[in-house]
Amino acid sequence: MPKRTDIHSVLIIGAGPIIIGQACEFDYSGTQACKALKEEGYRVILVNSNPATIMTDPEFADRTYIEPITPDCVEKIIVRELEEMKRLGVPLGQPRTSNLESQIPHKLVLLPTLGGQTALNTAMALHRSGVLAKHGVEMIGANAAAIERGEDRQVFKDLMLSIGLDVPISGTAHTLEECRAIAERIGQFPLIIRPAFTLGGTGGGIAYNREEFEELAKRGLDLSPVNEILIEESLLGWKEYEMEVMRDRADNCVIICSIENFDPMGVHTGDSITVAPIQTLTDKEYQIMRDQSFAVIRAVGVETGGSNIQFGVNPDNGRMVIIEMNPRVSRSSALASKATGFPIAKIAAKLAVGYLLDEIRNDITRETPASFEPTIDYVVTKIPRFAFEKFPQADSTLTTQMKSVGEAMAIGRTFKESFQKCLRSLEIGRSGLGGDGRPWRVGTDVFGDRDLLPRDVISRKLTVPNAERVFFIRHALRAGFTVEDIFQLTKIDRWFLTQIREIVEFEEELAATKN
Amino acid sequence: MGTGSSPRLTPERLARAKSLGFSDRQIAHLTGLTEEDVRARRRELGLAPSYRLVDTCAAEFEAYTPYYYSTYDRGDDEVTPSERRKVMILGGGPNRIGQGIEFDYCCVHAAFALKADGFETIMVNSNPETVSTDYDTSDRLYFEPLTLEDVLNIYERERCWGAIAQFGGQTPLNLALGLQQNGVHIIGTSPQSIEIAEDRKLFAAMLDKLGIPQPPNGTATEVEGAVAVAARLGYPVLVRPSFVLGGRAMQIVYSETELRDYFHHNAALEISAGRPVLVDKFLEDATEVDVDCIADVGNFASPEQGTVVLGGMLEHIEFAGVHSGDAAMVLPPHTLSYQVIQTIRDYTHAMARELRVSGLMNVQYAVKDEKVFVLEVNPRASRTVPFVSKAIGVPLAKLAARVMAGKTLAELGFTAEIWPDYWAVKESVFPFNRFHGQDIVLSPEMRSTGEVMGLDADLGIAYAKSQMAAGSPLPTSGCVFISMSDAFKPRAPEIARVFADLGFEIVSAGKTASVLEDAGIKLRRIFKLQEGRPNAVDLIKNKEIQLVINTPSGQLPRADEVKIRTTAVYAGVPIMTTLSGARAAALGIAALKQQGYGVKTVQEYH
Repeated sequence: MPKRTDIHSVLIIGAGPIIIGQACEFDYSGTQACKALKEEGYRVILVNSNPATIMTDPEFADRTYIEPITPDCVEKIIVRELEEMKRLGVPLGQPRTSNLESQIPHKLVLLPTLGGQTALNTAMALHRSGVLAKHGVEMIGANAAAIERGEDRQVFKDLMLSIGLDVPISGTAHTLEECRAIAERIGQFPLIIRPAFTLGGTGGGIAYNREEFEELAKRGLDLSPVNEILIEESLLGWKEYEMEVMRDRADNCVIICSIENFDPMGVHTGDSITVAPIQTLTDKEYQIMRDQSFAVIRAVGVETGGSNIQFGVNPDNGRMVIIEMNPRVSRSSALASKATGFPIAKIAAKLAVGYLLDEIRNDITRETPASFEPTIDYVVTKIPRFAFEKFPQADSTLTTQMKSVGEAMAIGRTFKESFQKCLRSLEIGRSGLGGDGRPWRVGTDVFGDRDLLPRDVISRKLTVPNAERVFFIRHALRAGFTVEDIFQLTKIDRWFLTQIREIVEFEEELAATKN
Repeated sequence: MGTGSSPRLTPERLARAKSLGFSDRQIAHLTGLTEEDVRARRRELGLAPSYRLVDTCAAEFEAYTPYYYSTYDRGDDEVTPSERRKVMILGGGPNRIGQGIEFDYCCVHAAFALKADGFETIMVNSNPETVSTDYDTSDRLYFEPLTLEDVLNIYERERCWGAIAQFGGQTPLNLALGLQQNGVHIIGTSPQSIEIAEDRKLFAAMLDKLGIPQPPNGTATEVEGAVAVAARLGYPVLVRPSFVLGGRAMQIVYSETELRDYFHHNAALEISAGRPVLVDKFLEDATEVDVDCIADVGNFASPEQGTVVLGGMLEHIEFAGVHSGDAAMVLPPHTLSYQVIQTIRDYTHAMARELRVSGLMNVQYAVKDEKVFVLEVNPRASRTVPFVSKAIGVPLAKLAARVMAGKTLAELGFTAEIWPDYWAVKESVFPFNRFHGQDIVLSPEMRSTGEVMGLDADLGIAYAKSQMAAGSPLPTSGCVFISMSDAFKPRAPEIARVFADLGFEIVSAGKTASVLEDAGIKLRRIFKLQEGRPNAVDLIKNKEIQLVINTPSGQLPRADEVKIRTTAVYAGVPIMTTLSGARAAALGIAALKQQGYGVKTVQEYH
C-alpha cells in the first residue's frame, strides 16, 4: 500500500519542556518525524513550547509554532492552519471517496504519538471535547479508542484477561472507600499505587502498611487528572522486561528490541539499569513474550506505529504477567533505536501515513526492509543519572515514581564491557565499577576506594533501591557476600551478579600486581 | 618490579582487563601506575580498541551508516577509511540539571554546519536520548563515553583535523586541556583564553586592564578567612566553591552566623588551598542580564580585526541571586536604559576582543543603580544559545561552528545585531513535584530541568504564554493569597492593589494582612497556619486560591511558608516567590483579560 494522498498537512505535537520522565528523547523522535514527513512531501506543522529543541528549528517544519501545548492553544493553531490551507487553495473536506491512495490532498491530520504523554494527553483532550471532530481533523498513528484501551489501566487489564494473558491482581478506585475495599480484596501488603494519566508515574508509590497506603492513595487520587488510581498486588522482586513492537496497517508486526531491567520490579523503568537484548530468559520464554507482545498490540488496536510493552516474570515460578503498554513512542523507544540502529520514530511516522513495513527501506543496510527484525551481536547497557545532590531534603529511595534526570548508554561485546563503559559515561566522577582511586561517601562517612565497608552499611544499601546500589554490589562481593546473599537482598538476577563478580575478581587480580 | 613469584601486569592480563571494560584509570590505580603509563603500555603492545558497526543485522548485510562502538574483543575493525578533513564534535554526555538539551542542540548544529562546509563530522556522545546520537546527524557517530581515554582513541583512529569542545557544556570543556596536551587540535577560542575567564586572578587583571567593574570579591580556604573577607566586603555575600558548576553549593549569606553554617554544612566539599571558596559582594536588588555573543576575532592576527556581534541580551525577571538557568528572562531587555544597554554592548565587545574569541561567548552582568558589573564570562556555548537563536531567527551555534573552522562573520553575512520588535520570554520548569518536602524557592543553585518560550508582540502576553507553556497558566479571576517576608512587606500594598484592580479577591493572613489593611486594601483575612483553620493550605487544597504570592524570609525559611509553597506546587496553583515575578504575572493577566492571545509561527516572526 503506498502512502496516503488524501493528507495535505500533518500537525505534530511536541513534548514541551524537559521534565523528569519526558526528556530530550522526544526531540529526537519529533525531529525524525518532521524529517520523514517532509521527505514524503507533506506540509508539516509543529507545535512545541521548548525552544531548545532541534525540531523547532525553522527548517524542520513548514510551520513552527513555539506556543504553549494546551488544548486551547492547539485548537487556535488548528483553526488558523485550516484558514491557511483554504488560502492556499486546498479543497478542504471536498473529496469523499474511500480510496485514500488516489485523492487530492485535502486533509489536516494530527500525529500525537511522538510527543510523549504531553502530546497524547493534549490530543485526547481535543478528541473528548469534540474539537477534532468539529474541525474534521483526523488523528493518525493511533486512534482515540486504541489510546484509551492502552492508557486506561482497568480497560487494558480486562482486555488482557479477555485474550487469555495474565496480569497482576488489582482494582481501580475513585474514592478512598473504593481504595480500602480493593486493598482488602488483594489481602496483603505491600501494595502498588499508580495514579491514572500522570507523567512518569507522578504520585505513585509502594505502601507497606495501612498508614502509608492511605497517604499514597489520597495523593494519587488528587494528582490524577481524572481522580483515578490503580491499586495492585505487589510484584516487588519480580524480573522486569520491555518489548518495543511496531505494527503496520496490514497487521505486520516486528519486535525492534527486547530490554531487560537489571533492577527488579519496584523501581521505575526510567530509574532502572536496563540491558538489551534480554539476557536471562530462555529462548522459549522469549518466544512466548514475543507472541504475547504481538497479541497485546493487536488487541489494543494500535494500527500503525510503535508501542512499548512491559512484562513481569516471577523468578520463583516463571509466571509471566503484562504490566502495561504505551501506545506511542516512549523513552524506551529512543533507547531501542540507539541500541539497534533502527529509527523507530521515523518508521512510525511513515507507517502513520500509510506505508507498510515491507515498503520502507532500512537506511543502514539499504537492502533490508523495515520488516526485518533487528538482530544485535553486542550488549547495550543503560544507566540512569540522578541529581539528588540538588534536592537534599527529598527522599532518595528509588520507587515506582521516576526520579532520574538523564541517562547514559554504552555498547560492548559482553555485558561486563558495556556495563563498565556505561558507568564511566555517567559523569559522576567514577571511571568504572571501582578501583579508580576515588573515595566512597556514605552519608557523612568517607571510605577509601579499596576499603572494605561495614557489612551493615552494605546490607542497608543493597536492600533499599538507591542511586548507588550498583556500586554496593562490588562492596558486598569484596566484603565476602556471596552471589546468593546479594540476590536475597536485592533480587537482582544471579546471572548479572555473577558477571559483576567476574569484574570484581579481576579487580583483585590487577591489584595483586601492585607491590 | 615484582619478584619472581608475585603476579605482574602481563600483556595478557592488560588485554583481559580491557575486555572486561576496565578503563586505563582503573588499571592505573589498581596496579600503581599512572594513566599515561597504561596508555603508553597499550600503545607499545598495539592494544587499541576495534570499532564495530551498529547495523541492525549483526553484520549479515553491508551497513552504510557509520555508527560505531568500541570493543577490546580483538575482532575485526569496521571503520571505513576516508581522506576528508575530519572535525570531531564532543557531546555533553548524560543529561543532568545544569547540562541539558541546550548543549545537544549546539552540537547538532555544529555537525549540520560543518557537514555543509565540506568537513567530515564525527560525533562522540553517550546519551541515547539525543538528536546528536542519531546516525544521520553527523557523518560518523561514535557511541562512546566522554573520557580522555575513549576520546583520544577515536581521535587517533580517525586522524581528525580538529575537535570542538566548546559546544557540549562542561563535560567536553573539562577534557579540553588534557586533549590538547595529547596533541588534539582544539578549534575555536583557545583553551588559554578559557582559562583567563575561569581563573579569578587572570580574570580580574583583564577587567582591570579594560576598566570594567566587577563586584568586590575575595577568596578563602577556611572559615576564618571567609569571615574576614566578608567583613571587608560587607554582607550580604555570595559564597561558592571555585570548582563546581550549575551553582552547586552556591549561596547568598546575610550574616557571619550563616557564613559559619555554610562551612559547617558544606564540609564535604573539601575546601583547600587548591580549591578555595569564592566570596563575592552580593548586589541586592540588582537586575541580572545575560548576553550571548559571537565573534571571529581569534581568526585574525590582531584583536582589532574581526567582528563581534551580540546575539541577544536577556534581562532576568527575578532580581539577582537566582541562578541564570532557573531565572525567567526577557529578550530584548524591558526595563534597562539606553545608557546601560550601550555599556553592556561596549563591555561585551571589549572582552570578546581581549579574549580573542572565535565562536561563542556568554557574559553575565548585574545592573544596580545604572552601574554595570560583570559577574562571569564563559567563552563557549551557553544554555541560552538555542533560546536566543530562536528569538532572533539566526542559528548562532551553526555560525559559531563555521567561524571556529575558519570562516569570518563577514563571509557568513552576520555582522549586525538584531533587535526584535516582539518579545521572547524564557521560563524554567522545575521537578519539585517529584521531590516531596523540598522547598521550591529559587536560589543561586540551579534546579530546573527544562525551559519554555513565550513569543508575542505584547510583553504581557509573551509572559502569560510562558507560564501557560510551563504548566502553570495565569488565572484571570478568583483569589490571590499574598504573604510577604518582612523585607518585602512595605511593598505588599502596591502589589495587592494591582491584583485588586484586576478584579481579584485578596486573601491574606497575619502581619501581611495587617500591612494591607493599614494601607486601606479590602481583603479576606484567614488564619495563619499555626493559628487555626481554615488557613492558606486548606484554601489552596480546595482550589479556592488561584494564585499564591509568597516571598521567602531569608536563608532559613519558616516551616509554614515552606508548607504553603509545597502545597501550591502539588495542587498545581501558580506561585510567585519574587516581587518581580508577581509584577510580571499582573502584567500578563491584564493583557490576557484585555485581548486574549493569538498564535503565530516562527517563520512569520523572522
